[in-house]
Amino acid sequence: MGQVVVLGLISGGIYALFALGVVMVHRGTGVLTFANGEVGTAGLFLAALLVDGWEIPLPFMDNPTLPALPWPVGALAAVLFAAGLGCLFELLVVRRMGVSDPVAVAVATVGLALFLLAGEFQLFGESPKELAAPVDGTVEIAGVLVTPTQIAGLVLAIALGFGLQAVLRRTDFGLGILAAAQDPSAVRLVGVPLSRISLTVWGAGAALAAIASLLVEPTVGVFGPGYASELYVVGLAAAVVGGLNSLPGAVVGGVTLGIAESAATRYLSGIGLSGLRYVVVLVVLLAVLIGRQTIPDLLKRLDEQTGRPAEARA
Amino acid sequence: MSQPLLQVEDITAGFGATTVLHGVSFTVPAGGIAGVFGLNGAGKSVTMKTLAGILPARSGRILLNGDDITKLSPEKRVARGMGHVPQGRQVFPQLTVEENLRLGAYTLRRRDKGRYAASLDSVYDRFPVLRQRRSQMAGTMSGGQQASLSVGRALINEPSLILIDEPSAGLSPVAQLELNEVLETVAETGVTMVLVEQNVAFGLSLVDTAHLMQTGVVVHSAPVAELDESTLATHLGIGKVLQAATGRALADRQSVPPQRSSSRAGRAS
Repeated sequence: MGQVVVLGLISGGIYALFALGVVMVHRGTGVLTFANGEVGTAGLFLAALLVDGWEIPLPFMDNPTLPALPWPVGALAAVLFAAGLGCLFELLVVRRMGVSDPVAVAVATVGLALFLLAGEFQLFGESPKELAAPVDGTVEIAGVLVTPTQIAGLVLAIALGFGLQAVLRRTDFGLGILAAAQDPSAVRLVGVPLSRISLTVWGAGAALAAIASLLVEPTVGVFGPGYASELYVVGLAAAVVGGLNSLPGAVVGGVTLGIAESAATRYLSGIGLSGLRYVVVLVVLLAVLIGRQTIPDLLKRLDEQTGRPAEARA
Repeated sequence: MSQPLLQVEDITAGFGATTVLHGVSFTVPAGGIAGVFGLNGAGKSVTMKTLAGILPARSGRILLNGDDITKLSPEKRVARGMGHVPQGRQVFPQLTVEENLRLGAYTLRRRDKGRYAASLDSVYDRFPVLRQRRSQMAGTMSGGQQASLSVGRALINEPSLILIDEPSAGLSPVAQLELNEVLETVAETGVTMVLVEQNVAFGLSLVDTAHLMQTGVVVHSAPVAELDESTLATHLGIGKVLQAATGRALADRQSVPPQRSSSRAGRAS
């Protein structure tokens, strides 16, 4: 039982970090982005290049080779690179699409993911790439060997989920982000620069995905094209479980799915179904969505049957 | 007479291949409430969007306090003293009343953060219900209260001009009366307002000057005192039933000039 919880919290923290990025972008623009998993993977490739000592391929001259840089430098570069990709996508694509339907922009994010995926295959091939963990060693918690990066993932997810929410509520610009998806035109009409909000959330969402990718990668130690997108799918589900608009909700959603998944792997592995973890994620997601719709309905019907007006309960 | 607060000079605007505004011109002096009236499709809300900067003007000029703001973004116009009470009020439902107001003061707080507290207080004094409900989510308030919040959110930024888009739409008759009172008291503070209204009867009860629009141009501008029923009917192209209603409203308005009119005339000079 303890094992299930610990394992669930570890993967849940990563899902939560991805989900936070999903919520940031959705809250600020109303768009559901599918690209950030691949943006995170692209960041991993850059980090691996820098940590290995990058031989930069330049035309018409000897390829200069960078010295092998420490992990934190590579990680920082990866996060900044991802944020840059997010901002670039906003400037070159989202902004040019004008005030189009969020669904259209969501489709464009699929395009970005595919573009990055193709680029990764082109540049690095299929074979897995290594990126070592920043720190060695493990701690034993409830019989599970846990690495420092795994703990960092969970702690960071919780801190960012609740901290970011507080910061957003406290600053004017943050309030603008919280209000933006509720009513973009009204945000402009109170004088908040909507374009800056959009740029910020696209950059922040991508950066969060890079952070999640960097913290989950050492668990296995190797990665390849499409690596983080697989996890990002669960992050998307976590964001939806958390209500899609709430940062703390994203953390709760991530941890819920993480624990559900580890419980399924532990107790249902006898079924012998591969990909069981995804089935469980889907089941939890459906349960939450259906519950969210039907429970208020049921309460309302109950009120009507007992003859009590619905408002009296509020 | 000093320069007008708002000058709209021969504005054309539209969407794609469609031109909706074919040279809209009117002038709003400082002080008082100006009304832009017209039937559906006359170009009222497009005029409003162009004034706000959400829709670019294809030609013509918009001057606020003598400065050309035609090319400015909506945000920059707000920073220059333009305030908005958008159509449908558009308060931020998932933010508290006070957060709505803080967001309304966005450019004020950037200009001069010290003034915010006093400005917030004066809005709360004007709308005690907002003070009572400062921590309540805006979306949970009644329509009339949301209207007050929407007006308060515009006022808190200390604008010189407030654009009000279809204020009566979607409000119950009681809430309309409430809102009417609110706007009257705002007018007393010397803030100039331009309101666009399809409900001419409601609009006439408020405004001092009426600009009548038809098919994308202002066809007639006159102080309400000089308007008569048939002019209204001709320029708005309204039928008999509506004509009777607006006629009554016009008569009411002309027989009982609101008290603020005299005080405002004093200020404007």
